[in-house]
Amino acid sequence: MLSPLPASKWNYSTAAHLLHRAGFGGAPAEVEELVKLGPDGAVDRLLDYEIIPDDTPAPAWAKPDPARADYQRQIQALNQKERLATTDDEKTAIAAQRRELQQQFEREVTLQVQELRAGWLERMATGPRPFQEKLTLFWHGHFATSAVKVREPYFLWRQIETFRTLGAGNWLQLLRAVATDPAMLIWLDQAQSRREHPNENFARECMELFTLGEGHYTEMDVTEAARAMTGWSLDRPTESYLYRPPIHDNGIKTVLGSTGRLTGEEVLEIIVAQPQAGRFITGKLWKFFAGDDPDPALSDALADAFNSAGQNFRPLLRVLFRSGEFYSDKVMGQEIKSPVQWLVSSVRMLQRPMPPPAVSVEMVRNLGQDLLAPPNVKGWDGGLSWITTNTLLTRYNQASLLVMGQGNLPPAGGAGPGQAAMARSADAMARQMPPININNIIPASGRQDQDQLLAALRKRFLLAPLPDDHARVLRAYLDEREQLRDDDIRHVIRLLLATPEFQIC
Amino acid sequence: MNDKITLQTRREFLRAGLLGGALTWTVPAFLANTFSALHSEAAQSGTQAATGRDSGILVVLQLAGGNDGLNAVVPYNNDFYRRARPKIGVDANTILKINDDIGLHPGLAGLKDLYDAGNLSIVQGIGYPNPNRSHFRSTEIWQTASDSEKFERYGWIGRYFDNCCGGADPTVGVSIGTQMPQAFSAATPTGVSFNNPQSLRYNAGGQGKNGAMSADEKTYRELNQPEETDNSGATIGAVSGPTAHAGTVVDFLERTALDAQVSSDKILAITRQVQNKAGYPAGQLGNSLKMVAKLIGGGLPTRVFYVSQGGYDTHTNQVGQHQRLLRELGDSVKAFVDDLKEMGASDRVLLMTFSEFGRRLTENANGGTDHGAAAPMFVVGPKVKAGLHGRYPSLAPADLVNGDITFNVDFRSVYAGVLEEWLGTKSAPILGRQFEPLLLI
Repeated sequence: MLSPLPASKWNYSTAAHLLHRAGFGGAPAEVEELVKLGPDGAVDRLLDYEIIPDDTPAPAWAKPDPARADYQRQIQALNQKERLATTDDEKTAIAAQRRELQQQFEREVTLQVQELRAGWLERMATGPRPFQEKLTLFWHGHFATSAVKVREPYFLWRQIETFRTLGAGNWLQLLRAVATDPAMLIWLDQAQSRREHPNENFARECMELFTLGEGHYTEMDVTEAARAMTGWSLDRPTESYLYRPPIHDNGIKTVLGSTGRLTGEEVLEIIVAQPQAGRFITGKLWKFFAGDDPDPALSDALADAFNSAGQNFRPLLRVLFRSGEFYSDKVMGQEIKSPVQWLVSSVRMLQRPMPPPAVSVEMVRNLGQDLLAPPNVKGWDGGLSWITTNTLLTRYNQASLLVMGQGNLPPAGGAGPGQAAMARSADAMARQMPPININNIIPASGRQDQDQLLAALRKRFLLAPLPDDHARVLRAYLDEREQLRDDDIRHVIRLLLATPEFQIC
Repeated sequence: MNDKITLQTRREFLRAGLLGGALTWTVPAFLANTFSALHSEAAQSGTQAATGRDSGILVVLQLAGGNDGLNAVVPYNNDFYRRARPKIGVDANTILKINDDIGLHPGLAGLKDLYDAGNLSIVQGIGYPNPNRSHFRSTEIWQTASDSEKFERYGWIGRYFDNCCGGADPTVGVSIGTQMPQAFSAATPTGVSFNNPQSLRYNAGGQGKNGAMSADEKTYRELNQPEETDNSGATIGAVSGPTAHAGTVVDFLERTALDAQVSSDKILAITRQVQNKAGYPAGQLGNSLKMVAKLIGGGLPTRVFYVSQGGYDTHTNQVGQHQRLLRELGDSVKAFVDDLKEMGASDRVLLMTFSEFGRRLTENANGGTDHGAAAPMFVVGPKVKAGLHGRYPSLAPADLVNGDITFNVDFRSVYAGVLEEWLGTKSAPILGRQFEPLLLI
């Protein structure tokens, strides 16, 4: 189990597989570079990202801001004033004032969340540390915190930043950081939990979705853990975590067999010490990076590797990406690209810039992966659930837009009023997108021989084999063109991207 | 052997239909009849033609997040209720009374109208043994109709499709939304899902000569056909849910691409031609039901539609939020029934709501409620036995389990009733064993 892939099997296909799964794919030259590094060197290049400088700036507003606390105070003051108002006219006037304040605040929040989403997609596509961003995306899906409830872009930015800095480190350390993370404190109501009435939301999801999985704890464990976690709170004026001893339940609790005056921190320690803890989180990592649930033997092997590395993620992932299992037929070319993977890797393979912010964000939303707004606490289901009749056709249409430019971007629907406006502006921008530059993809010398051209395009764009009769269909399409102009090649690429095979990595 | 013939016939049919250029929306009736007539299993089992235009239609409406049943169908005179919910209990003066004990939340005026018109049955105290309080697990239990401790791979509607609609047109199941519900997952995945019919179409572009298909369109369609091999029929038959065998993911994608091609022209044409005849409230649920009404009015051969309304996970400040949700629910469903009546299609339609669980009897400190267990279901349509069914669960402290009211009717009895009485098929093969069907129709 988990023995390294022999160096003899290191080639273009295995290197491309690694680049797509541990990163977001890339142009053939990037794959060739990994081939040259050999399997150890290639994995190290991706995983040891700290040695590569990344000076992506944070948004200017991504820091504690007294104005936001002031906003909360103003709203509260207006509520108070409304309650005390004596006439209906007075009440109506105050309500209108409050509504205007709220709308202004909401507009700003919406724009900032949009900036975070677009900035992140850009960083995935062009940043110097693709693996760090990929792992951050994993943690975002794992802890699944949504801007729909957390209307604080600074907190959302901070949570993603926490994943970025601690995501490859130690499990308990990450878990502690997340448990006391402001966005999480709001997302799962922990900030509102009190000794008298513990709120079970975080305690439950922590065990069910973050650390152990259903069936590995009891209802009593949830209730008791929720008591232990009281006291974790949020200080609005400084916009930061605050422990409040008066609201902590200092009594005796029993969680997962351990009894005492447990604190929330101790509960997290008890949780990660469960034998199931290693299996659960490594299983989720395997599923994210390799595409399917591990079988029991592999699951044990992954948990062993994780525990013997002191529950640190980077050494575990090094073993994972080097393992023969990761390059088996069950894994390679068997994963449906997530919408984010689809967009970022398409942009990288097409060697084109990321579309304008409104467009890029709208594209992944249309495909069912609205960044910073996972559908629920469980995150995105992934796998086959990415694909429906609707999302598959939307992938095909959006691929056309990426290749040909100047298209429209119909909203996939289900959007609220604010999103409808964003969808319209995305559509307007999509009409001005330029087409891809064919010279980046096929030099003039590569256009003479049609078989050679087709082979180059397949190598660049497809990780799954194209069935023979489909290859013949494309060849026939090329044969019908008299001479191959740039636009003809764009059409072939666009057709290649509108295939089942392109949806796979 | 029979299976293989059917599947290959279906493939050939689709190929002829799609590549022969017969792309206009005159096909559906033909498609519908051809597929159900071809399918020997359906013919032998004596069930009604699975996709006929006159068959009963089921609309499943998911209330996602755990609807607070106690504040939807309210035991407004119950002292235990008043004591457990001092802050969020629904004011008895605003209740839409059904009898001296039970009434509907004021937001459900639309449902009350339906109740008074004899179009609503309320099933009280629905649940299942050993209730699970996880959203996901409990939703899965409802979607797969499994026991609490068992894991079923396929959804109950998916198993219905597998059993009764083999070889059917893909639009036999339609889900309005971005994701296919787990209830639809099946050995042979069937059904389409979409939010916006405009996006259910590939714009291949290019110009063909004399109105013929363009080279781009033709190439696109061929690239999205399953590869021609000797056992190609079997390849489609073997598509089987999320576990990946070699090639399975591509098979799944090919099948989806094919289903999309077949459905998109029809659905787009219907949504352009059919007009709604009632006004719906703004919001996603209204929009979804509006779309479903159009598709029913336009004669799409669908047996099961699936729509959902989210936001019911009311842990904090429940009162206003729940009021909004219930108003949207009641008004949207009322508009849907009115619309179908105007279209002359309401007799064929049964709508059923479900939620993964109800909520805890006792309110929490944040003006909300935590995950609970038993809750009521609404079943709507002109053919229902209107009224209250089942018993309201006892709220007495001694009768609660972990602070929750307990169920009297297993949700699978409701499913069994719907399958046997409405969809006209035996329920045991679909639900795994025989549940006492609850007779609501």
